[in-house]
Amino acid sequence: MTVWRAAAFVACLGSVWPAGAQTLPSEPIALAGGRVTIGGDVSATYGSPDPGYFDYTDYSHSALRLLRIDVSAALNAGEHVTLLGEVRTENLGKFRPYAAYVRIRPWTKRNIDVNVGRVPPTFGAFARRTYANDNPLIGYPLAYQYLTTLRPDAVPGDAAELLQKRSTGWLVRYRYGNPALDGGVPLVSAFRWDTGVQVHAGTEAVRATAAVTAGTVANPLFRDDNSGRQIAARLELRPVAGLIVGGSGARGPFVGETAARGAVGDGHDREFTQTAWGGDVEYSRGYYLLRYEGIVSDWRMPIVRPPELTLPLRAVSTSVEGRYKILPGLYAAARVDHLAFSHITGTDAQGTLPWDAPVTRIEIGGGISVQRNLVLKLSVQRNTRNGGRLEPRETLGAAQLLFWF
Amino acid sequence: MLVLLSVSFVFAPQALTQAPPRHGIGAIRGRVELRRVATAAERRPGVAELGSPRGRDLPDLRRSVVYLESAPRGAFEPNEGGRAVMDQRNETFAPHVLAISIGTTVDFPNSDMFYHNVFSLSKTQRFDLGRYAAGHSRSVRFDRPGIVRVFCEIHSHMNAFILVFSHPFFALTDAEGRYRIENVPAGTYNVVAWNEGTWSDPKSVGVTGGGIAEQDFSLR
Repeated sequence: MTVWRAAAFVACLGSVWPAGAQTLPSEPIALAGGRVTIGGDVSATYGSPDPGYFDYTDYSHSALRLLRIDVSAALNAGEHVTLLGEVRTENLGKFRPYAAYVRIRPWTKRNIDVNVGRVPPTFGAFARRTYANDNPLIGYPLAYQYLTTLRPDAVPGDAAELLQKRSTGWLVRYRYGNPALDGGVPLVSAFRWDTGVQVHAGTEAVRATAAVTAGTVANPLFRDDNSGRQIAARLELRPVAGLIVGGSGARGPFVGETAARGAVGDGHDREFTQTAWGGDVEYSRGYYLLRYEGIVSDWRMPIVRPPELTLPLRAVSTSVEGRYKILPGLYAAARVDHLAFSHITGTDAQGTLPWDAPVTRIEIGGGISVQRNLVLKLSVQRNTRNGGRLEPRETLGAAQLLFWF
Repeated sequence: MLVLLSVSFVFAPQALTQAPPRHGIGAIRGRVELRRVATAAERRPGVAELGSPRGRDLPDLRRSVVYLESAPRGAFEPNEGGRAVMDQRNETFAPHVLAISIGTTVDFPNSDMFYHNVFSLSKTQRFDLGRYAAGHSRSVRFDRPGIVRVFCEIHSHMNAFILVFSHPFFALTDAEGRYRIENVPAGTYNVVAWNEGTWSDPKSVGVTGGGIAEQDFSLR
């Protein structure tokens, strides 16, 4: 999308908003008597250069240099049916569909919903609050953003090849499958939603969700690329006000059919799975908010030849985040993140090492509200990578202006 | 900017120069007609929510506030100890509009089973009460005249208005739009009606001792 198209989009928003309003919209735009609501999130982030690719979300996008525009809409088609969708553009590229699903409530008196289409993530806690407005800092938790060296469409022939690629998840190539250079996957993708059927039920105290989808948590898909489906579930407890305890699990075939066939022949693609487990706790009271999230992800990849991969390839992420409101409209926040990997043995020269380079990130920042829905955030993060070929340490600063309605 | 100008105009202390009250007191009454009632803020689309949102009450946006733009000298004596309540119930502030004198303390009880976080970034009064649970309450004392927009940080569709006056000559309309401002010293005043951020043009109203002046308004 060109700049003029972005300007036209903003102008369009202005024309929809009531003529009497002299400021940018602060509430969702309601049409057709409130049956249609349109909301938006715009965040402009500019930060230090990142030669170590700690904050890249794919080959060309860094989370610290990103203009992101989200437009979401809900169409209430009666008591039982709501259509929901969201389109997004990054750095004024094409608007892409991010979410598009129908929510069916079979019994209006019962708190049970069925979502069909490109649905919200079932797994984990952060995946559903990736909007800049919900993120007290600018960076993302490592589990949801940092690109490991695994790819669903290309696989290494042996442990030595995988160890050679440590730290190069932003752009990696393997012997089998798609020969092109491309980015690896995070443990859980915060940037795409999966496609399938999801059932959600609950009360104020207990909520449960289950879904069957095409991709996996690391690689959500619109169309399946192998012969299996992912099953994911989440249970959330809210025993007292302010406390949320969640547990999630997901398992599905990870490696695409083409890559699996190239590595080990036909009929095996269902065996190469990603299995993830997550636990999260949130507690808030008064002026502070604390969050913890831990994720364990196991990948079973094809074993082609020695030195063999030691399966499963495991990644473990731990993230602790806090926010404290200092004054009305002013808060401080911090997050400590660590990403660890299981060990595999390569060549004699390589020895035994984590299959990807472990990463630690400490991010400190804060935000000030210019108005209720216009916030300026600043943050500094220190990234450390233990091994690999790229920069082992980086201190990165960033500023972000976000607007939502 | 229009809103800010209007606020400063309405609540500016130029009224202090008004002539002192003449003999006797009277009242002003009338009706505020809303040609179009404002619509309540909708929830954001909530695309990332796993299930349908819970039901909520809709705020009553028909209530207007009518007040003297200029008030008699001596009407600005500080008001000590007044109290008012703005409840948080079914994801709505109740009442949606509160009109108070400076010095009034407003309680914000939480009557829902989940957290709310009342705050305002208004120039008149900035405050943030933090998150608190059902059965708990926090309060704010309002010491400056002006308009305070109140929000919930957790539920973005929740909003309310608190109009803080430096004199006692204001009234909230009832469900039919009727109002009555009592104990107005005899004199001539500019009277203004307000509804959801929209002001009427000031109307000049003469009040006589023991009399009741009539003034209707039409907004939007």
